Amino acid sequence: MPAFDSPASLDDEQAEALEALLLELADDEYVQAERYTEWQVRAPTLESDLALANNAQDELGHARLWYDVLEDLGHEEHELIYEREPDEWRHSTLTERPFDDGDWADVILRHYLYDVAEELRLEALEESSYAKIADRVGKIQNEEAYHREHAENWMERLADDDESSERLQDAVDRLFPHALTLFEAGSADLEETIVEAGFRDASLAELREEWLSIVVPYLDELGLETPVSEIIQYDDYDLEVTDDTLPEVRGRDGTHTEAWEELHAEFTNTYRELERSEATKIMAKPE
Amino acid sequence: MNSNTPDPEPNPNADATPCAYTEYREGDAVDELPATGDGATGLEADVWDALYEIEDPEMPISIVDLGLIYGVSVEDGAVAVDMTLTYSGCPARDMLTGQVEDAVAAVDGVEDAELRLVWSPEWTVEMVTQSGKNDLQEFGLSV
Repeated sequence: MPAFDSPASLDDEQAEALEALLLELADDEYVQAERYTEWQVRAPTLESDLALANNAQDELGHARLWYDVLEDLGHEEHELIYEREPDEWRHSTLTERPFDDGDWADVILRHYLYDVAEELRLEALEESSYAKIADRVGKIQNEEAYHREHAENWMERLADDDESSERLQDAVDRLFPHALTLFEAGSADLEETIVEAGFRDASLAELREEWLSIVVPYLDELGLETPVSEIIQYDDYDLEVTDDTLPEVRGRDGTHTEAWEELHAEFTNTYRELERSEATKIMAKPE
Repeated sequence: MNSNTPDPEPNPNADATPCAYTEYREGDAVDELPATGDGATGLEADVWDALYEIEDPEMPISIVDLGLIYGVSVEDGAVAVDMTLTYSGCPARDMLTGQVEDAVAAVDGVEDAELRLVWSPEWTVEMVTQSGKNDLQEFGLSV
């Protein structure tokens, strides 16, 4: 049985750690979805267009499941999405990077890197000590089941062609450092509490090791070299990730790349322009 | 890029079918679900009747027969409904939950209606009742 069934059972530091964890989960999903939707009516085939749109809808649903839990801590969804300043967002910088026009290899690579990380992270939340987190994991895992498979299908197809494979390698060079920020803590103290309280039962360092042990050999098999390939020896993926393998900004601590401000301004535009103080509903309540 | 790299072997575990994503995944049956209000009496029975009246926004099937209602509890005039959705990204979420709250609140004798969205156990097609399966079959969907 989960140890914590409501925020009332948490002390202040645990509540702060829970909030940090949930913001990372929710913001990653939300921003990943925002970028996916840019491919609507622009993806290379109708099928792939629909697949990405579908992924986006899945991730938005999952973001909402996590924002729902944040409501327990006194937040409201519309405030979290439309009223937070850009530097209050905690997503990994991987999710916010813009695409070059038509760079399909870029979206496929981040889709792959992200979904492997997400799979591992969800596994580490299955037995979460916070009941509402544990309750939601199965639903999300069910809906995520095809994500990695879809990404891998495309990775393998792209790697099989000289030009696309070059584009994939460019994307690896650009995105890999940002993907590593998925495993950076916004605050080392809170990360410690997240694991100690059992909200997540693996540390970020453990998740990163597992992730590297999957993605590095996979990319290697596809003929793609990662910035960490050279420092991995004897299949030891428990790396000391140094500052020069990470981007200057980390996402988790509220620092973001300049592309984020633009994206943020774009999706909050209508809300601000119409001077909303709550999100409107599509349909009025039935009589 | 190393051009000597042999072509990657296709993943032997990937047995994707062209439309795999559109299939509803089969799940395990859950003992107490679906909840249908069978045997309910008094105010609780009236609440179930009201819930039966609400249809899924996309298919002619009651949300009770679809298996979305996980439980109804009545304490004096206060009613709490546990409900799930088939999909976390359901665009009709607010519409449907609003409809359920209003329908329950409108039942004679209900003073307070609370709807709790729950996500565990996850909804699967196993939760559709026999009568719901018949409705869907008539609509052209076989589950």
